[in-house]
Amino acid sequence: MRRGAMIFSGIFLLAILVVLPTSQAATVKPIVIGVPTSLYTPFGRDGLKAVNLAVKEINAKGGVKVGTQRRPFKVVIADTRGGEPNTPVHDALMAYERLITKEKPDAIVVGAFRSEVLIAGMDLVAKYKIPQLSTIAQSPGFQKKFMKDPKKYKYLFRVTTDALVDATYLNNTLDILKKKFGLKNAYFIYQDTLWAKAFSGLMSRHCKKTGWKIVGFDGYAAGATDFSPALSKARESKVQLIGMVWDVPLGAGVFAKQYAAMKVPALLIGFIPPMASPMAVKTLGPGVEYSMSIEFPVGASLPLKKLPKTGDFLSKFKKEYGALPEAAAVNSSAYDAVFILANAIERTGSLNPDKLAAALEKTDYAGVSGRIRFNKQHIAVFGTKDPKKEGVCVIFQWQKDSAGKLKRVPVYPAFLAEGKIQLPPWMKK
Amino acid sequence: MSLLIYGLINSVILALYTVGFSLTYGISGLANFAHGALYILSGFVAWSLMNAAGLPFAVSGILAVLITAAIGFAFYWVLILRVRGIPLAELIVTFAAGVAILELMTWKGFYGLRYSLPVFVNGGVEIAGVGIDYQRLIVLASGLVLVIGLWLFVHHTRIGLAFRAMAQNERTALSIGIESDWIGALSLAFGAALAAIAAMVVLPLGVMESTIGYDVLIYALAVAIVGGLESTLGMIAGSFLIGYGQIAAARYIGAKWMVIVPLAAIVFVLSVKPSGIFGKFKELEERV
Repeated sequence: MRRGAMIFSGIFLLAILVVLPTSQAATVKPIVIGVPTSLYTPFGRDGLKAVNLAVKEINAKGGVKVGTQRRPFKVVIADTRGGEPNTPVHDALMAYERLITKEKPDAIVVGAFRSEVLIAGMDLVAKYKIPQLSTIAQSPGFQKKFMKDPKKYKYLFRVTTDALVDATYLNNTLDILKKKFGLKNAYFIYQDTLWAKAFSGLMSRHCKKTGWKIVGFDGYAAGATDFSPALSKARESKVQLIGMVWDVPLGAGVFAKQYAAMKVPALLIGFIPPMASPMAVKTLGPGVEYSMSIEFPVGASLPLKKLPKTGDFLSKFKKEYGALPEAAAVNSSAYDAVFILANAIERTGSLNPDKLAAALEKTDYAGVSGRIRFNKQHIAVFGTKDPKKEGVCVIFQWQKDSAGKLKRVPVYPAFLAEGKIQLPPWMKK
Repeated sequence: MSLLIYGLINSVILALYTVGFSLTYGISGLANFAHGALYILSGFVAWSLMNAAGLPFAVSGILAVLITAAIGFAFYWVLILRVRGIPLAELIVTFAAGVAILELMTWKGFYGLRYSLPVFVNGGVEIAGVGIDYQRLIVLASGLVLVIGLWLFVHHTRIGLAFRAMAQNERTALSIGIESDWIGALSLAFGAALAAIAAMVVLPLGVMESTIGYDVLIYALAVAIVGGLESTLGMIAGSFLIGYGQIAAARYIGAKWMVIVPLAAIVFVLSVKPSGIFGKFKELEERV
């Protein structure tokens, strides 16, 4: 009898041990976030890290309240390879769709790397009705397509900037350069992809309108590894400013080194990831001095004294992963996107895609990148005035500090500036 | 003037990409499609030796060349030996090995903005009003030294003479005691070493990414096909045609056409003279 009781008790306890976690797991089903992106690029890799950081923070506080229940986030990933120059859009979309059908995510964050994939993938996301908060691809083509059928594409949102915003910041800086230093000849070089073409096109058009002389406007294939034709022409034409927009690390790195090597006496401005990266001096050498770059949006890699949230996010990122994010773009958007999603789920108390899309439309979130609200085209409102009212970006310049060490100094807009734009000595008359 | 100077530099870079590929094919008839992967692998090996082991670039570079040569040598015995003499199988095996190397490097995290080899000497000079950095002058000098060195090697050393014997007639070479597998393995090792030497002088011009491996393979193929797969003279001619063609296209037609030039050259040469400008493999068939 006693032996029988012992055996029975043992089996009972064992059964509890086996069943208990199962029943608990069944009651706290995680909210699945899909991250289909180009993981083997700095933007995709660090975007995913930012998502995981946000998820860790949210889960540490008990997860997201869905109705009466708190549920943790779970991240599932797919490498679309969409950021690699030789990947066809179709291949990236196949990886995207596989993640959707296999992992059945409740929402997607980060999303497509290349705008070509984002735009082609809008139909895919609409078909499966999955709320998506994209944080990398920058082409204004997104809102054009969205406006063709807002009802169909209502699940799609863009949390980050687009090329129009980025170009506005750079155009305003060009105005300052013209007014303050009298620069008037410009040469534009861009990566021949949708967003970069749109971005540099906006800059070039602005220059034409404001009295600059455009000496060249050259598109290079994304896999290009020699920029001597454009740089030679720029040098021969005595241009004072080179505008460069490029996101593939290889070409951008070659350009950055070649620009310094060929001693083109022109100020460099634009978006050139290796030159904007926190590790640019180590990778490219002291030739980065005076180059100016946009960080879109704020908090992607540069802590700003006047926006403490950027420093908080980046120090948490550094503590978690041992280094700052590499690229001066979109990392803070990936982080913000998870909180925006959590916020919308809690407000609507449901994971129903239609309800969630409606809740996302009413987003009003004070994030790392500023205040995030969506307009009628489902893109986050960014501007140049006030981070309490809109998302913001920053322009910085590599300058030497008093100890002679090169640092990234925010120079525009004024409410974020920690220094003034410096003209290289070889450009001063 | 900049067209002349940068066309020359671009041509020499293409020749450096191709010289190892062409040497291996010329000696053993083996089209090593892992050539581009070995090129970039050597760059990452050098970077790792510098940053993980703290070695100076000069030492890391030499070690990277030796390690890459050893990998090429091992390739022959592990991968090629079983399919030797079946050209399509050799091509598939080397291509698969190359893709595996490139994907492995990506998977191990060798991508991003931090991977760059230092230039040999900082600074530059002006030549006829054209700014040029010392590293590019080193590239030019390396190309010249490599071509002269190779000529001396294959004409005045025992291994070099054995290489030539194999290239001219494998059966006759066998009959006089030259072991074809050893020579095949050495040709792969030398080809890999030449790819690594090219990497050590060219990679400091930019940053490193595993996808460079594909580009290098395409350029090497284009130059070799245009010039003639087994011909050193053809390799030089092919490099100059494509090198100057690219710079001229970028300057006078549009920068985006640069990448089209090598592909267009392949199509044109294959349709007009499949052996290439100086190639002899199919010369008889072409005449007939």
